[in-house]
Amino acid sequence: MKTNRMPRVISDRFLQLLTVLSAALAVVVLTSLFVYIFSHGLSLINADLLRSDYWSLSKIVALDETRNQPGSYPRPENLGAEVAWSEKWGVGFVDHLSHEKKQLVLIEAVAENSPLASAVDTSSGANQGKPVAMSAGLQVEKIDFTDASGTADFTGMLASARAAEVAETLDQSAAKLTSMFIKTPGGGIRGSLVSTAYLILVSLLIALPIGIASAVYLSEMAKKNKVNAAIRTGIETLTGVPSIVYGLMGVSVLFPITAAMGAKTTNILLGALTMAIILLPTIIRSTEEALRVVPQGLRDASLSLGASQTQTIFKITLPCAMPGILSGILLSIGRVVGESAALIYTMGTFINDQPGLLKQGTSLAVHIWSVMSGEQPNFELACAISIIILIFVLILNLTVKLLSRRLQKSFR
Amino acid sequence: METCFEVKDLNLYYGEKQALKQLNLTIGKNRVTALIGPSGCGKSTFLRCLNRMNDLIENCRISGEIRLLGENIYDSKTNVVQLRTEVGMVFQKPNPFPMSIYDNIAYGPRCQGIRDKKVLDGVVEHSLKSAALWEEVKDRLHDSALALSGGQQQRLCIARAIAMEPEVILMDEPTSALDPIATAKIEELIEQLKTTYTIVIVTHSMQQASRVSDDTAFFLLGEIVEADTTRKLFSKPADQRTEDYITGRFG
Amino acid sequence: MESNLKARIRPGQARRKQRTDRTVRAVFFLAALISGSCIVLITLFILMKGIQPFLPGYAYGSVSLKDFLLGTLWRQDQGVYGVGFIVINTLISAFGALLLAFPIAVLTALFIVKIAPKPVKPLMKTVVELLASIPSVVYGVFAAGVITSLVKGLASLAGVSTAGGSSLLAVILLLAIMIFPTITSLAVTAIEAVDPDLELGSLALGASATQTHFKVVLASAKSGIFAGAILGLGRAFGEATAVAMVAGNKLFGPTFNLFDITRTLTSTMLAGLKETTGLDYDIRFSVGLLLMVVILLSNLSLNWVKKKVGNGQ
Repeated sequence: MKTNRMPRVISDRFLQLLTVLSAALAVVVLTSLFVYIFSHGLSLINADLLRSDYWSLSKIVALDETRNQPGSYPRPENLGAEVAWSEKWGVGFVDHLSHEKKQLVLIEAVAENSPLASAVDTSSGANQGKPVAMSAGLQVEKIDFTDASGTADFTGMLASARAAEVAETLDQSAAKLTSMFIKTPGGGIRGSLVSTAYLILVSLLIALPIGIASAVYLSEMAKKNKVNAAIRTGIETLTGVPSIVYGLMGVSVLFPITAAMGAKTTNILLGALTMAIILLPTIIRSTEEALRVVPQGLRDASLSLGASQTQTIFKITLPCAMPGILSGILLSIGRVVGESAALIYTMGTFINDQPGLLKQGTSLAVHIWSVMSGEQPNFELACAISIIILIFVLILNLTVKLLSRRLQKSFR
Repeated sequence: METCFEVKDLNLYYGEKQALKQLNLTIGKNRVTALIGPSGCGKSTFLRCLNRMNDLIENCRISGEIRLLGENIYDSKTNVVQLRTEVGMVFQKPNPFPMSIYDNIAYGPRCQGIRDKKVLDGVVEHSLKSAALWEEVKDRLHDSALALSGGQQQRLCIARAIAMEPEVILMDEPTSALDPIATAKIEELIEQLKTTYTIVIVTHSMQQASRVSDDTAFFLLGEIVEADTTRKLFSKPADQRTEDYITGRFG
Repeated sequence: MESNLKARIRPGQARRKQRTDRTVRAVFFLAALISGSCIVLITLFILMKGIQPFLPGYAYGSVSLKDFLLGTLWRQDQGVYGVGFIVINTLISAFGALLLAFPIAVLTALFIVKIAPKPVKPLMKTVVELLASIPSVVYGVFAAGVITSLVKGLASLAGVSTAGGSSLLAVILLLAIMIFPTITSLAVTAIEAVDPDLELGSLALGASATQTHFKVVLASAKSGIFAGAILGLGRAFGEATAVAMVAGNKLFGPTFNLFDITRTLTSTMLAGLKETTGLDYDIRFSVGLLLMVVILLSNLSLNWVKKKVGNGQ
C-alpha cells in the first residue's frame, strides 16, 4: 500500500491540473476574443458611426453668381488650432485620417454669410438645383477656381493638398470658385441599424403569436395522440436545422410571398419571415417552460369559478408565465441580431443606406460579413460592429438570467 | 331534507384503472357533508366529479349519473362553465391569483361579463364579509393577495367562491395547509356558510369531520363503505371497516 | 344584494364561452400545426430544388449525379460541380473540431462541477454561457484576425507557407471554439445529475476523490456527455459564415494538409453568391440537401454508437 501511495497522489494531481488547464483555456479564448474585438474596434465607436451612411455620396456644387467673390470673414473664436481658416472665403478645413487610413480634408466650419453658404447642387439627379448645406464633415475632393487673371486651377484632395494648403491657396489665388466636388462621409452603419430594427420587429410580430399559440396548444390543450406527437417532433427537429438551410428555405418557400407583395430581389421582409421560422422553436420552448412553472392550482381555481378555458389562459396562465415569455423574446432578439448565414441568402449582402421592408438591406451581422468578404476586409469596422452586437447580446442574456430567477422565485 | 346532489352508480376510470366503484350517495341541501377515508381512497376524485374538474384529466372516463337539483350534470347538454358557476370549489393549498384582493374576488363575475363597478364593489364587500375577512382587509383591497397570511388567503379563496353565489361549495381538505388557529376560523366560517350554501368537504381529520359536518361518507379503495349522519356514523357505525377506521386501527 | 349577480349575467353567456373555447382551440391548433409542419416544408422544397439539376428536363443543362457526388473539382466559372471532396473536407473539419473540443469540454465541465472552488464555479459557468452567446459572425472576425495569424506563426515555425493563415487548421480551431460551449454545458448538466450515492460508494471503497471523478462520475454521465458531442457535431457541420471567412475555398481536393486551404459544404454555399437564377444558384440547394443528409447520417450513426456504448455498461 505504502509504495502505491505516491504515484496515486501524483496522478491525481496531474488529472486535476488537466481540468484546471482546460478551464483556463476557455477563459483565455474568451479573453483574447474580447481583447481583439475591443482593441481593434473601439476607436471607431462614436456617434458618427451610428449616425452616418455607409456609402459616401458625391456632389458637385456651384456657388451663387452674385455672391461668388472673396470677402473678409474673421476666424471664429471657438475654432481649434488645427483648423485651417480661409479668411477671404469664410471656411475652415481640417485634416482627417479615415479608418481605411486615407488622408482626407474635411470642412470643419463655414461662416454664416460666406459665399459657400449659397452652394447649389449641380450634379444631375433629383436634387439638381437644390441648395446644399455645407456642413462639417464633408470631404473636400476638389475645388475649381479661377484666379484674378481668369486662369483656371484647382485644389483639394485630388491635388494631394492638406487642409492648410487648401485654405492658403484659396486665400492667395482664388478670385472666383467655379465648382466644388464634395463627398459626404461614409462608413457608417445607420442603414444596417435600421434594417436590424425592421428585422427584429417584423420577425417577432410574426413568430410571437404563432409561437405562443403553439406552446399554449401543446402544453395546455393537446391530448396525447399521434398528431400532437408528430407536431412536437417537427418543432424539435427545427432546432437542429443549420441556419444556412433556413436561408435556402427562405428563398425557395417564402420568396413568392414577398414577390406577391411587389419585391423584385431578396429583401428585408423575406429575411424577417425566415427569421420568424428560425425563432419559432426558441419561443415555443421558453413559453412552454414558463407555462410549466405556473401552478396547476391557479388554473383549477380559475376554472372552478366558471371561467372558460380561453379566459383562464388569457387572464391567468399567460400573465403568470410572462417573465418566461419575455425571456424567450429577449433570446429571440439576440438570435436575430447574431444571425448571418440565413440572412445572407434572404436579404442579400448589399449595404443599403435607405432600407425598406421590400428593399435589400443588411443586418449588423450581415454588414460585418459584407465588409469582411470583400477583397480588402475592413477589420476595424467589423470589430466596431462586433462590439455593438456583443454588448447588445450580453445585456440581453443578463436580463434573461434575472428574469428566470424572478419567475422561479414568484412561484416558490 | 331537501336533496342537493344525487349520485347514482358512479364509476370512474383512469385509463384501465378503476378509481371509483359503483358510488351511490345523496347529499342534502344546506348541510355540510364530510367525505373521509384514508389517502388514495378516491374522496378527492369524487369531489372533483361534482363540478366536473376531472374533465381536464386525460384518459378519465365516467359512467353513471350525478344529479344537481334534479339535472344530470354529466348529460351531454350540460354546460360545464355554467355548472361551475353553480358549484364553487376551494382547494387544499390556498391558491389566490397573483393580483389584488379586489381583483381576486371580482375575477369570477368579470369572467361572466359583469363590468359595472358598483355591482363589483358590492360583490367584493359582500363576499369578504361572508368569509369573515372584510374587517381585516377593507383598507387594502388593492394590495396583492399574495401578501396575506395562509389562513387569510384560504378565506379569500372561499370569498372568491362565494362571489359567484353558487349553490354548492366544494372544499378539498381546505385546512390541511393551515395552523390550528387559522383552521378554527375556517371551521367557524363553514358553520355560518351552511345556512346559505350546501357544503361538501373532504377532510383527512376525523375530528374535523365530527366537528363541522352534518353527514359523513366513508370512502375506502374507491367505494363508499358507509354514509349516514355524522352523529350516527361516529357513534354506531354499521360496517366493521368504518369502525376500524374511526377508532384509528388503520389510516 | 344576493341573487342579483346571476340575474345580471347575459343569457347564453355560458354557451357563447364554449363556442369561443372551441374557436380558440381550433386557432391554436392551427398555429401548432403550422409550427410543426415547417420542417416538412423545408425538407420538401429543398429536396425538390436540390434534385432538379440532376433531372433530364433541367433548364440549364442537367448535371450527372455521379459526377456531382464523386467529383473532386469545383469550378463554378467553368460549370464543373464536383462535391465529393467537399464532403470529405467537411467531415474532416467537423470531426477534427470535435476531437479537439471534446476532451477540453469534458475536463472543463468536470472542473466546473466537481473541482472548482465555490466562488470560481459561477464564474466559469458564466464564461461558458458567454462563449455560447457570441454570434458566429463575431467568431468569424476573431478567426480571420487572430486564429489565422496564429496558424501563420505555426506554419512558419514548421517551415510551410499558408494562404494568409486561412487553412484547414484555422477552420478546425474555430469550430472547436464554437462547439466547446455546447458540449461543456451539456456535460455540466449530465455530471450534475450523477447520483451522489455512487460517488460515496466509490469513495468508501478507498478510491480518491479524483479517481472517483474520472472513473465513476464520467462513466455514469456518459450518455449525457455523448448527447452534447452529437449536438456539437451538428453545429460544426452547419456553421457557415465564420467558416467561410477562414476556409480559403480550395477548388479541388480533398484537403488533408492542416496548413492547406480547404472548402466545406457551407463555405461553398456562401461563396460567390451573385445571381439568383441559373445552375450556379440551384446547385447550392443540392449542396444544402447533401449537408442535411450528412448531418442526418452522422447523427444516426453516432446515436447508434451511443446505444452500443450505453449497453456495454
